[in-house]
Formats: sequence, structure tokens, C-alpha cells
Amino acid sequence: MLRYIIWIPLVVVTLLVCSVLAALLFHVSPGDVWQALGSSETRFALRLSLATSVAAVALSLCLGVPSGYVLARRRFPAQALLDTLLDLPLVMTPLVAGIGILFLFGRDWLGGTLAELGVRLVFTPLGAVLAQTFIAVPIVIRSSRAAFEGVNRRFELAGQTLGLSAPEIFVRITLPLAWQGILTGAILAWARALGEFGATLMVAGATRFKTATLPVSVYLNISSGELGAAIACAWILLALGFVLLLAVKLLGRSRRTASASGGGGMLS
Amino acid sequence: MISLRGISNRVLHAVDLDIRDGELLALVGPSGAGKTTLLNVAAGLVPYTGSVLFHNRPVDRLPPRRRDIGYVFQDLLLFPHLNVEQNLLLAMRRLGLNRTEKKERARRILESFRIDALRGRFPHELSGGEQQRVALARAVVARPKLLLLDEPFANLDFRTARYLRQELKKQQRRLGLTTLFVTHNLAEARELGDRIAVMQQGRVKQEGTIEEIWFQQELGEIGFLEKPNILTCSYAINLGNGLVEVGWAGTKLLVPDDGVSMERVAILPDEIYISTEKSMGPPINRFTGLVSDIIKSDGIVQVAVSVGDDILRVEMSPEHFLALNVTEGQQVHGILKLRALKGL
Repeated sequence: MLRYIIWIPLVVVTLLVCSVLAALLFHVSPGDVWQALGSSETRFALRLSLATSVAAVALSLCLGVPSGYVLARRRFPAQALLDTLLDLPLVMTPLVAGIGILFLFGRDWLGGTLAELGVRLVFTPLGAVLAQTFIAVPIVIRSSRAAFEGVNRRFELAGQTLGLSAPEIFVRITLPLAWQGILTGAILAWARALGEFGATLMVAGATRFKTATLPVSVYLNISSGELGAAIACAWILLALGFVLLLAVKLLGRSRRTASASGGGGMLS
Repeated sequence: MISLRGISNRVLHAVDLDIRDGELLALVGPSGAGKTTLLNVAAGLVPYTGSVLFHNRPVDRLPPRRRDIGYVFQDLLLFPHLNVEQNLLLAMRRLGLNRTEKKERARRILESFRIDALRGRFPHELSGGEQQRVALARAVVARPKLLLLDEPFANLDFRTARYLRQELKKQQRRLGLTTLFVTHNLAEARELGDRIAVMQQGRVKQEGTIEEIWFQQELGEIGFLEKPNILTCSYAINLGNGLVEVGWAGTKLLVPDDGVSMERVAILPDEIYISTEKSMGPPINRFTGLVSDIIKSDGIVQVAVSVGDDILRVEMSPEHFLALNVTEGQQVHGILKLRALKGL
């Protein structure tokens, strides 16, 4: 009997998650949701969400992978401090992050200069990209740093003795050995960027057919009482999130079987 | 010639060493003696003072990738994400060949190591011995000026290691590779080394052929190498069939002809077999003597046998000693393994 007691918390949690999902699914009639799924507003939100999140992940990779490499391979003063600082967006209330970005890129500070150059960030889809990048880049930094730390540096020594230059070693040896860890981080960052709401709301605003990503669309439709449309957007988000998390799980499994001789590092 | 001149760093103290063109110099010594550090100095992987000369040209300011070396690390470091052929191709980037030429060269070297069938395999799909050969092929495929080998056979089973040692010697000769080979295994050093350098506590203590080193030991110099029995010969006749007959302690011995004068003959204590009964077989290199002393130490038993005016030291395992069942003063019959005898 005792051996079954240990399962109870797991069952409780599973039931809770399933119940919440069921509540979302069955609160409104499936017909309404189905109709909303095909609406132009939902389709716009989906397209915008995909476009901004993909751009945010790309930007996060460009900034985060080299940053992760430096953090993994170089030692400098106040490194722990910087490391903690860069993790801060992970635990920051996204709404607060959004306010900060809004102030920075508003009329007074950077925004003024950028406006003179013809770049408008606030209340545009570009702002959504910026907000999502801010939230996603720490995930990429963390995962790529762990991945680079997991690469045996002696492989790089071997590369040197074989006549390879530092860039060749990075591209031909280090990066391929770390890429699974980096990819895992990129997928998690993508999932995070897709679901990002608070910061996007503050920076890009909530205008239908302009800056309404899927999460913002859920918010707008709930506010105006259009539950069917809100639930439709919610379900798209959940489906995308599930697929991405599953991809991470499968990637982790293939890595465990393939990394017989020292592949990339696991994400902690 | 590759020369190391006055090399010092945290581990090494004013090391001078020459590796002649095309020779395999075996670097032996206990762990912590600085053998691997010396390899890393030659490769340029660790800081040092002093000078490394490749054919009279100092390479101290060159980074490892410009030194034209091949390095087989103890842990091999085959790139796990690349298959065998790709591992070799990556090692040829410095040669500036086109892809076809590189592939052809990789094919030839893999064939000569008899591993061309493995070219599409990944390192984790290879056995220990196969990985070893791939690492060796990768290190030599760009024809380095200096080949560095760090205990390459340490992690292999006995039979594979023995086979690969012969293979390495053959390839090293065939390609004329100037090679510095690190090992803590004396038998390996003797088998492979054209010359041997003995390292201890960051210094090169002795350098020369095994015979020279044995002889120096006889003169009382410090040595880490096991001490051979040195037999003084009363006469030597070259039989002309690759054997030399020498007189020792009233008997005659046959010794492989090394082209030396054979005033003395050396044999290691573990190459001598003794028994309480006269054994069968041809009466070559036999002796009879009395057990004069028995010393048991950790894992090994030394039996001193007086033969004529000489004392032979014989080494064996405790198990073998138990089976032998001899006591001091007892008569024993012995055999000196012909191939283990070396003229000095």
C-alpha cells in the first residue's frame, strides 16, 4: 500500500493541469472556437506572433551564443555579478521589463535618437520583437554557456595541433559539439517569446491588426467579452508550446544516446 | 634534427634533448617526471623558457598550429561529431590541397593503417585499437616534422597494444617520421625506441640506446630503468649465422649478433627462468647454480642464484615463486632467454 502513496502528488498535479486545460477547452462551445480559429484577427495574431518570435529568437541567438561563449571560456572581474545581472530578465516581472524598455526607447532617451534615424520601436511590431528578445536572450545565454562549458577543451587543443586557426576551431569543433545544447536553449527561448505578454503589451501596445500577438489577442478578446476568440488564441498558444517542449524532450533523448564520447553540455 | 635547449618551466628544469631525423626517441620515467609537459613544450601548448629548434630554426614564437606537428594525445581526442574520414580531412586543412587530393591522401593513409573500411564510422563506433589507429593516422596524414605520442597504448589490452606497437614501428620507419614517444612502460620503450631518454623530476637523467643506458648504470649512474644482469664474457666467437657464441661461468651462451664486441652481455632479471628440475629441450643457454638469497618485496620476488663466480638476479611473481618452491642453498637449473640477451 505504502509504495502507491508516493504516486498521489503526481496524480494530483496531473489532474490539476488536465482540469485547467479541460476548463479552457469546454468553457465555450467548440463551434465558437472553431469559427474564431478561422477569423482574420486570429490568423493575423498567429502570423504576427510567429514573425516576431522567430525574429526575437534569431536576434537572441546572435547576441546570446557569443555571450555564452565568452562567459564559458573567459575569466574576468565581477563575472559572477554580470552573470546574475544577465539572468535578471528571467525572474523580472515582464510588465516591469516592458516599462523599462518603454522608458528607454520612449521620446526622451534612445527613442528620440532612433526616431531621427526613422526607426520607431514603441507601439510597433518591432517593439514586440525587442520586448521578446529582452525576455528570451537570457535563456539562450544560459543554455549556450552550459553547452560550451560541456565541450571538452582538449578537443580545441587537438585542433590547434592539427593546424586549425581559432575561428576554424570554433566553427568546425566547438560549435558542432555544443549545438544540441544551444538548440535546446533556442527552442525554449522561442516558446518563451511566443507566450510573452507583459513586456510586449507595454512596448508594442495592444492594437488589433497591428501589434496584437496571440497572448495580447487573448487579453483583448477577454476584455471585450469575446470568449470564443480568446480561447481559440489560447489553444493555438498551448499547441505550439506543447510541440516545442516535446521537441526539447526528444532532443535531450537523442543527445543522451548519441553523446558517447563527450558531446555538448546539458541544460541545467 | 629537433632540438630542445635549456627548456624550463614549472615542471621542467633545463632540459636538453635532441631527436634525430627519422628516429623514434622513447621518453620514459615515472609519472610526474614531466614527460607529457615536455611533449606540450615541443607542441607549443604550454609556456616555457629555453628554445625549441626544428632543423636549427627556433619555433618558440610559433603557435601550435604553425609548428607542423602531429600529436596523439593519451585520450586520443578524435572529434566525436566527425567520422573517421572527416577527422582526417580536418587535419589536412593546413596543406592547401583541394578536396579530391585530400580525400585521396586520406584514403591512402587509411589503407596503410588497414582501416579504410572504417572511414564512414564515428569514433564511438570504433574499438579501442581502431580508435588508436585512427588517431595515429590523423596525426601523420599531414606529414608533420615531429610526431608526438603520449602513452598511446596505455588504455589498450595487452594483445592489442603489442600488435599496435609493431604497427607503429613499421609506419614510423616507412614514413621516416621523427618521433618523440612518451611511455612509463620500460618494455615498450625498449621495443620501440631507437634511443631512450630517461626523465626524473623534470630532468633528463640519461639518454642513449638501451645498451648505452645499461652500461652507464653499470658505471654507477642513477637510473630509473630496471637493472639488468651484466655477464662478463671470457671469449666471443661470431658463428656467422646471426649468433655469437660467448663463454660465461664455464658454460657457453648463444647471443644474437648486434655487431658489437660482446665483452659483456646483459639480460633483465625477468627474462631468466629457473626450475628445480632440469627441463627438456635443446641445451642452449642453460646454467646450474645455487640459490644464495631470496628477497620478497611488493608484488615481486627476487632470487639470487650464484653461478660460478657470478651472481644472477632472477625476478618472478609471488605465485610463480610459490610454485617453484625453492629455499636458500638449493640447486636450481636455469635458462637465459636467447632473444633477451644483449651484447654490450
